[in-house]
Amino acid sequence: MEKDNVAIKVTNMTKTFKLYSDKANTLKERLVRGRKNKTEVRTVLKSIDLTINKGETVALIGVNGSGKSTLLKLMTKIIYPNKGRVTTHGKLTSLLELGAGFHPDFTGRENIYFNAAIFGLTKQEINKRINDIIEFSELGEFIDSPVRTYSSGMYMRLAFSVAINVDAEILLIDEILAVGDQHFQDKCFAKLEELAKSDMTIVIVSHSLEPMKKLCKRAIWINDGEIAMDGEATTVMDAYLKTCE
Amino acid sequence: MKVFKELYQYRELLKTNVKKDVRGKYKASFLGVLWSFINPLLQVLVYAIVFPYIMRVQTDNYLIFLICGIIPWTWFTYVISNGTTSITNNANLIKKVYFPREILPISIVTSGLVNFLISCIIILIFVLFGGLGISWHLIFLPFIALIQYIISLAIVFLLSAFNVYVKDVEYMVVFIINMLFYATPILYSTQMFSGWFLWVFKLNPFAHLINAYRDIFYVHQVPQISNLIILLAIGIVALIICYKIFKKLEKRFAEEV
Repeated sequence: MEKDNVAIKVTNMTKTFKLYSDKANTLKERLVRGRKNKTEVRTVLKSIDLTINKGETVALIGVNGSGKSTLLKLMTKIIYPNKGRVTTHGKLTSLLELGAGFHPDFTGRENIYFNAAIFGLTKQEINKRINDIIEFSELGEFIDSPVRTYSSGMYMRLAFSVAINVDAEILLIDEILAVGDQHFQDKCFAKLEELAKSDMTIVIVSHSLEPMKKLCKRAIWINDGEIAMDGEATTVMDAYLKTCE
Repeated sequence: MKVFKELYQYRELLKTNVKKDVRGKYKASFLGVLWSFINPLLQVLVYAIVFPYIMRVQTDNYLIFLICGIIPWTWFTYVISNGTTSITNNANLIKKVYFPREILPISIVTSGLVNFLISCIIILIFVLFGGLGISWHLIFLPFIALIQYIISLAIVFLLSAFNVYVKDVEYMVVFIINMLFYATPILYSTQMFSGWFLWVFKLNPFAHLINAYRDIFYVHQVPQISNLIILLAIGIVALIICYKIFKKLEKRFAEEV
């Protein structure tokens, strides 16, 4: 296999969303409105072609609503494309939203087990990592309190600690790092730099471009559902910044 | 085969989910897990008072007769009502993380099974102290439970996926379960009926299952094996079809839920 080196491959992929002016959710609404129901089909991503190799660290940039997060969701297989294909090779972990998959009534420790199980780890594998996870999160004694008592920063620390400790080969991150305090942000950033140097593939959506320039060698600028520019991080980001002014 | 491989990989999630369902539901209440046994018992108590005295039902050991029907039925209603909403209630997870979606319905049916098996102890206590005793026919229990598991899972795959697209399903289900309760020989025995009504029992898979449970716990006889094998075959075919439909509808769960 010559394509052994590819981590994520997107071929001629199009994703559309149906926008309901008012969504008919119940049977009655469907029957009453029938075909009159106004739906507008919006194309969020238009025939995207993209290859990300193993070990690459890639920043996805673009204005709000350009389709960056949708692209990440497609890579995670939370949603599926309407046309074309998205294939990934290797174990994948994503941090799309704060505390996704946390159970508010369970303690931090229980949630580590639950969250890691969602990423497909077995109990033994989690047992091996639990100390690293707790230590990295710096939650200390709070680890045994229910997560509903956590602040958003603590949520993020726990979620991030789990995600980076599950030994994924592909890590997808959607702008969540901004919640932590300066100290933890720096720590995450250092950890990401370390991971970027390893053979982990990282795709990160972010609006804070300066740190991204340091972290990523490659950047992909998505504008209005299409790849506007793809290449060396600094060049792409500078071009993007120019249009923002 | 890919299905089983992925399920095996995510076995820990399945286990945690089952534990959460068995334990978590009553976590905040004083009596905790005990509620999952007290509830069917209280229900039995109501029927045991109402039917012999008001409706004048004459059945020996009516209390035990009822328990043998109500406990498997409790498993079924738990599975259908919670299973139907298993995808919609986990919208948060579905929208944000990837995992095999079938884990959710499977864990509901499995936690129902665990509760049922524990509840079987209640049946045993009643038959032992009620003077009926137990017999070797109990060896059929796993087989009957397996058939119920397969049929419930098939139904839940279908309903949970439909409920994402049409929210009415979960409300219609409540009504249908109620209807089915009276069309299943739980409060009464099939022998009390004749004519066209017997066809209802013949076509109702739960009538066969409840009768089989009653055969092994209450009557102490070999259940009708040929019926059970036909039921198992239908169950497996239904399960495969419903799973396929689930997988088809699954692709837009995150957008619709």
